[in-house]
Parts: sequence; C-alpha cells; structure tokens
Amino acid sequence: MRNTFLTAVLITAAGLFLLPGSASAHHGWAAFDPDSTVTLHGTVTDFHFTNPHCVVEFDVKDDKGQNQKWQGELTSLNRLARKGWSATSMEAGDDITVSGYPARNGVLVIRISKIAVKGRELIVDMGN
Amino acid sequence: MVAPYRALAKNVPASRDSRGFLLCSLSLAAFLSASFATTRGQTLEQPRRAPAAEAPDEAGIPVTDPLVIAKCGACHANDGHGNIERISTARTTPEGWQDVLRRMVLVKGMSLTPPEARTIVKYLSTHLGLAPDEARPVMYDAERRIHDESDVANEELVDACTKCHTFARALSWRRTAGDWKQFLEGHAERYKIPPHEGAVAFFARAAPLITPGWTGWSNRTRAQNLVGRWLVTATLNGRGKYYGEMVIEAAGAGTDDEFKTRVNLRSAKDGSALMREGRSALYDGYAWRGRSKGGVSASAAPDDPASEVREVMCFAADQSRAEGRWFWGQYQEFGFDVKLQRAVPDDARLLVIDGTALKTGSQGQRIRLIGDNFPGEVIPADVNFGPDVTVRRIISHSATEIAVEVDVSAGAQSGRRDVAFRHSSIEGALAIYDRIDYIKATPESTLAAFGGPGWPRGYQQFEAIGYQRGPDGKRHTADDVQLGPVDVTWSIEVFYAPADTNTDTVGNVSTTGFFTPAAESPKSNFDVWVIAQAREEKDADGKPLVGKAYLVVTVPFYTFNGRRYVRDLERWVDDGPARAGQ
Repeated sequence: MRNTFLTAVLITAAGLFLLPGSASAHHGWAAFDPDSTVTLHGTVTDFHFTNPHCVVEFDVKDDKGQNQKWQGELTSLNRLARKGWSATSMEAGDDITVSGYPARNGVLVIRISKIAVKGRELIVDMGN
Repeated sequence: MVAPYRALAKNVPASRDSRGFLLCSLSLAAFLSASFATTRGQTLEQPRRAPAAEAPDEAGIPVTDPLVIAKCGACHANDGHGNIERISTARTTPEGWQDVLRRMVLVKGMSLTPPEARTIVKYLSTHLGLAPDEARPVMYDAERRIHDESDVANEELVDACTKCHTFARALSWRRTAGDWKQFLEGHAERYKIPPHEGAVAFFARAAPLITPGWTGWSNRTRAQNLVGRWLVTATLNGRGKYYGEMVIEAAGAGTDDEFKTRVNLRSAKDGSALMREGRSALYDGYAWRGRSKGGVSASAAPDDPASEVREVMCFAADQSRAEGRWFWGQYQEFGFDVKLQRAVPDDARLLVIDGTALKTGSQGQRIRLIGDNFPGEVIPADVNFGPDVTVRRIISHSATEIAVEVDVSAGAQSGRRDVAFRHSSIEGALAIYDRIDYIKATPESTLAAFGGPGWPRGYQQFEAIGYQRGPDGKRHTADDVQLGPVDVTWSIEVFYAPADTNTDTVGNVSTTGFFTPAAESPKSNFDVWVIAQAREEKDADGKPLVGKAYLVVTVPFYTFNGRRYVRDLERWVDDGPARAGQ
C-alpha cells in the first residue's frame, strides 16, 4: 500500500522548517536552482512511485559515450496520482527527456519540471 | 490509596502533554497503571437506550450512569431527560473518550481517580461508542498504523483535518448536526485555524449521531463470553509468522469484560517460543484494549518480540474471531498483526503453513501445516494445495503439525491459492510462480528517527518481498503476485543531505534489514535509499534484482517560535513551549 504519511510530514513541517532558526526538514526544493534549467535525454533504469517524492533513475550518455547515472525528483505519489500517473507510467528501458532545475551542489540530481516518456509528455505537478 | 487522576496528569512530563500523546498517556493511566479494580457493575448490564427511530437526531442519547452524571454533569447541563450537554450528542471509540477525559483533566481541572476514569470510559465507550461496522474503517488509528488516507473526500477536509491528525481521528466520532457545528467552531478557535463550513455539512451528513448500524448494534443483546482457549496466528515484520494460543480468563469474580491473558506463541521461521501475560478489557462487546508482555529484560533489543505491547483488537459480533495489532516502540513502529479464532474441542483446524510460495516444476518440496487437533491418521488426500500440486507423501504428523512433500507441475497456474486440511482451509496461503520478476523493499516509504537526550530512537524493520508479474504480464500492476520474503543483502545510500552534513552519522542497516538510526540527532533530516539486492534472483540481463525503499530519517523534535514539535507517527505535533537547551 502506498502511503501518504511522508507527504503529511512535509505538509505539516515544511513551512515551519523553511524559516530561519528552525531545524532542517526533510528536504524542500531549496537545494535546486530555479534560475537554471537543463534538459536531459536518457534511458530509465528505475522508477519509484512513492512518497514523499517520486523518483526516476535514468542513464544519460556523456560526451564520451559513458553512462552518467542521474536521479530526477518529482512531487509526491498522491499529487502525481491525481494527474494520472501510476507505478507503470514508466519502466526500465524507456526513453525519456526531462527538463528541470539542477542541484546547486553539482550532484547529478534534477528537480523535474517537464518530462516526456517514449515521446509522450506527462503532466508534472510542481507542488511539494 | 489511589492517587487522584488530576495529580497523575500534573506529573506527566511536558513532552507528553500534547495531542500526539494523549491516547498513550491516558491509556496507560486509565487502564494499566493500577490493578483492575471491580468496576461499577451496573454499567454493562443496563439496557442501552437508543432513541426511537422517529426521535429527532438532536434528542441525544440519555446518560444513566451515576458516576458520569456526577462527574460530567458538574459542568455539562442535563436537560432533565437524561441528556447531558455535549456528551449525549456524541459517540466515539474508547480512545476518543479517553482523549476527551484527559483534556477535561488537563484543561478543565476535572478531578478523577484512575478507577473512576476507567469506569467512565467504559460506560461511554459502551453506551456512546461506535458500532463495529463504524469502527472498522478507522481502526488503523487506534492500532497506530501509518495508513494511506488519500481518499479524503475533498481538499477542504484535507485542510481542515489532516494537517494535524489523521482523518480517521475525525471519523472516529458521530455527532448530531448541532454538535458537529459546535465542535468544529470550538476546534477552530482552540487551534487557531479558519472555520470550515463545508466540514460541518460533511460530517453532519457522513457521521450523524444516530445511524441504522448503531441502532441495530445497540439493540443486540449478547453475553460476554470470551473466556477460554483461542488459537492465535500472527505476523511480525522481519520475523515472519507466529502461531499458538491465548488463554483468556476473567480478571475477577463477577467480571465479564475484564480479563487476564496467557499467550504462547512459536515462530514458524525459527521455532523460538514466546510467552506473554497480560490484562485487557472489552468495550461494547467487541473492542479489546489491553497490554501484555513477555519476559523481556531491560537490555533487550528494541524490537524484541517479548516487549510490552498494547493490544488493540476487534472481536466479531459472534465472538468467534478477533483481529488487530499488538504494538510497541517509541513511534509504535513494531507490531504483531494478530488474528484469533476460538478453539473448538476436537475440531481439526489448519492455522498457518510454513512457506509462502512454490515454483512451478519444483519437486519434493517440504511444507509444514500447523494447526490444532489434527487427527491421529493423516493421508495425502487430506491435504489440498489445489490443481497441479500433488501431495507426494506425509512425512510426519502430530496433533499440531503435519509435514508433507509436494510436487508442483511445470504447467501449474501462477497465482495465490488456498491450502486446505479436510474442511479447514486458509485463503490465499500459498503462491505458485514461474519466476520472481522483481523485489520490493518494504515498507516502500517510511520514517525512522534519531535519538535525543532522554529520547529513544525510532527504528525500522525492512523486508525484501518477491513478486511475480501476474496474469497481465506487466510488473507493478494490481494483479502482481506477492511471493514472500527473498534472501537479500542490505545497504543504505543517503541521497539527500543538507549541505555540510556528515552522512556517515545517519545510521546503519543490519544483515536482516533492521535500520538503526544514530543515537544522537545531527539536527537534520536525511533521505535514504534502503537497498535490498537479491542473492540469487536475477533480471533478464543477469543482474541481481534490486529493490529500494525510501526512508526519511528525521530529527526527534524541533523548536519553532518558542514551541517544541515532536513526531507522532507520521505527523509533527505541537508539544508545548520549548524548554532550555531544546
């Protein structure tokens, strides 16, 4: 059974945690740079339709043809489910193109704002 | 001398003085800290007075218990017909009434002894409780299970209710329309939240005081007769199946709703024995609330199955079966899922099988059938695994166990199937599969918590469960067949950490999938993959199957605007003013 509880943690705590002087929460989106957008083309290696964030793992070939292992973060299962997503929205081997905000610290993680799987664009909810 | 309950409440540390801990604290005080004194015998023998069907909803349910009238009536007006203001117009679970009583003690200065508190809760839970069919959908709240509430009717209700507590907490109540309005207005004022007119209308319609189910249940007459021997099956995450018996005895002469229990359980996985003793009470003929413990030592592991547990179960109306959860842990993260069935002398009963899945084409597979009153003679035809699974021979048998050897034909249909011994069967007890298509690390998303000064850690037990793709041939769809635990290696990978934090201090996962967070909080939350890699099963490319669970390891508490917030299951709740050093 899919759980909403991590979403609940986020909803309840995120607003509080974002203010100075408080402890750091399960992460918000501050680690990603909204002023910078990248677009990547690759192959899905795994898709986690789960809370608190759905996560897609995918390989992107670099200039030398070597696979770079990327991770794309989406909003929660519950939000995406309301947009028609499911655990089978993508699977290993699928061709994807994603756009979004890269991690500020340079790790290969992106907050996805736009995604197309096998050429079909899926609606992305940018909520928490 | 019994300490006044008010005094007990004053001694509750501030860290427990929160909504999140109301249930646990009061439960302990009201039910478990003192001996089970004989309660006022009149409460359960009195016929309940459900209003006549034509009576208006607002009439309420008259209160007849002298103690309730005396204690509650001191502040709540009586209309002269037995209806007490704000009490006669509401019904809820034992936990709901405990919650109310505790608030009356803490906020309104009500003075109660523990026996008085027990008597009042018992009366209210019985005469102003929920019918079993009303309680069942919200039992996960009393059982302290983290539960998906994605089906809340609309966003306004999500906003009005679930930011602070489960929706089940609200739906654990039935009220008149007037009482819902009064309650929600008071709630908004007390917790400084905007009023939600739509919520009043919703609850007045969805959870009225008088329902056909309640009227029907109230009119039933039934003797309390739980005393005797019960057969127990249970599962504990990470430790598998248990089986055994519970002997229920009356707690005292003339008492038919308070009990002493002795439980003997045995692990189907490793044969280890577990003995527990406890005390419990039954509310309204079906709601079991109790505590029990085994011989656990102070140095025992936090997940020791002999730990003291709280028992929450529902008995069937005919009192032949019961189901619920026995749980423990700082975040109630450990728990047996328990089923009881009344033992019947000389009735051969199949309880559990040792094993969860068989592969097509496999030969000579040994399976143990565990039960009660198995006869002296057993032949292969007595045991049925469904088509294309042949019982080759009976290896051994006793009154409680039959070991058989079976062959599975190569063409056996994949899927779950019943297993039967003569007329006794277990639905979906065994899965037949051709291959393991993927594994899940479960729970798929969950929480653990760092410790703090005087603050125990929140642990998490993971399991790797194998799946077959099911008839549609697609993975991760509803018809996938769960095959049971898979042998894996475990590891963790921190994939999100705040800048400048040391991820080495997050914690570790054992070879059995048990995650232990750091004893001291690094004052940050971390997102972690808990990774299960199959030792034998491979994917189409020959790589080991891998499953990942999303674990958030949280701080145990935090402060904001001078107030401390603590975790209660999956939510942060206001714990009162922060103290120095927090």
